[in-house]
Amino acid sequence: MTCEQAKPRMTDYWSLTLGEAEQKEFSAHLASCEACRSEVSRVGALWQSLDLLPLEEPSGKVRERFYEMLGAYRQGLASAETQPAKRWWTMPAWQMAAAAALLAVGLGAGYVARGNGQPPAEVSQLREEVASMRQLVALSLMQQQSASERLKGVSWSYQVEPSDTEVLNALVTTVNHDPNVNVRLAAVDALRPFTGSPATHLAARNAVVQALPKETAPIVQVALIDFLAELKERNAAPELRRLVSDPDIDSGVRKRAEWALERMQ
Amino acid sequence: MAEVSAGQVARLALLFERHHRALFRYFVSMSNHREQAEDLVQEVFFRMLRYRTSYDPAQSFTAWMYQIARNAGVDQVRKRSAVQVVDIDTYVDRRAELVSASAGPEESASRGQDLALLRRAMDQLPEDKREILVLSRFQGMKHEDIAEVLGCEVGTVKVRVYRAIRALEQIYFALEREKVS
Repeated sequence: MTCEQAKPRMTDYWSLTLGEAEQKEFSAHLASCEACRSEVSRVGALWQSLDLLPLEEPSGKVRERFYEMLGAYRQGLASAETQPAKRWWTMPAWQMAAAAALLAVGLGAGYVARGNGQPPAEVSQLREEVASMRQLVALSLMQQQSASERLKGVSWSYQVEPSDTEVLNALVTTVNHDPNVNVRLAAVDALRPFTGSPATHLAARNAVVQALPKETAPIVQVALIDFLAELKERNAAPELRRLVSDPDIDSGVRKRAEWALERMQ
Repeated sequence: MAEVSAGQVARLALLFERHHRALFRYFVSMSNHREQAEDLVQEVFFRMLRYRTSYDPAQSFTAWMYQIARNAGVDQVRKRSAVQVVDIDTYVDRRAELVSASAGPEESASRGQDLALLRRAMDQLPEDKREILVLSRFQGMKHEDIAEVLGCEVGTVKVRVYRAIRALEQIYFALEREKVS
């Protein structure tokens, strides 16, 4: 390898993206070329120091504006889909016949709609899309690195259907594994709506029972105990008794566990 | 993006959550203007919706996104028909303030000065060199994707990234010498 061939490979070398064969060739060249060796070390230090430049963060307005824009765009799409039918009505040759036909169709449709209680297909589709968007936002935010973003994700979970198992699973993961106490605490509260849905109530209840032995922060332990007492969840009784008899446990948590056991009887 | 392109526009929310910060940083690096960068992020996602059917799933999404970003940036400069005047000293001072408070005061001050100098050197790089360095170093893009965005060969990208870092080195040391003298 010549110096000219080695130079464009330096950035790959610093980024550890050279292939095995190239790496060998490059190292062999460095071993025999003092000038390239010095350049790799000097410019490499500058390349690495770029990592230290502070990262700019966008303001919260960016997200707000994006979701407003997305909502407006989708509304526009929905109304654009209904427009061809309206134009058809305005054609003079069809106006009289269309008026009569529409009256008949309208009466018929009204009768049918009242009979089966189903919303129009477009409305159902729009609802599904909104639900899907809310689910996506909640799930994406809960995976963010920043605790405040994950907290926002937990708040978004209140806007999904309580039968949404994907969001429930994400909340359960948050309750069990999130390193931030405030996020875990918010996620415990966010599980409540899921205990009211036939599709998810069992999974949500079990998640609360299983989270209690793993939890170490007193404030979250108390929240879990309150939740279990509210649910009158008898499967939690052994863990509550363990907490009552554990001398190392926080006194506030112990008292709350005693109270919960009494309430369950 | 393939799903957005097929009509599930709500899926754009997922792409927004994944990429809006990186896009914002790209625009800030290129313009030194936060508000303008936020407007451009919005514009890029709007264009993704508008031109969603032109997205080819065989193409790299990142490359497609930065192609839109570059066009949006160029259009905005044209619209404003004037280059933004940046108060570089204010900007550099603000950057220096952001240096980690965890270091000791002396270390922090010295690191802050070095970083301020580095930031200043970045700002003085010619736009084409700064862009390729930002895409390669800060956005973590593969050379193949950068080649697609810039419309050139992968080999050319490697050479241009190398030249950009060397140019940065020269500016950085020139600024350092200025500071000492």
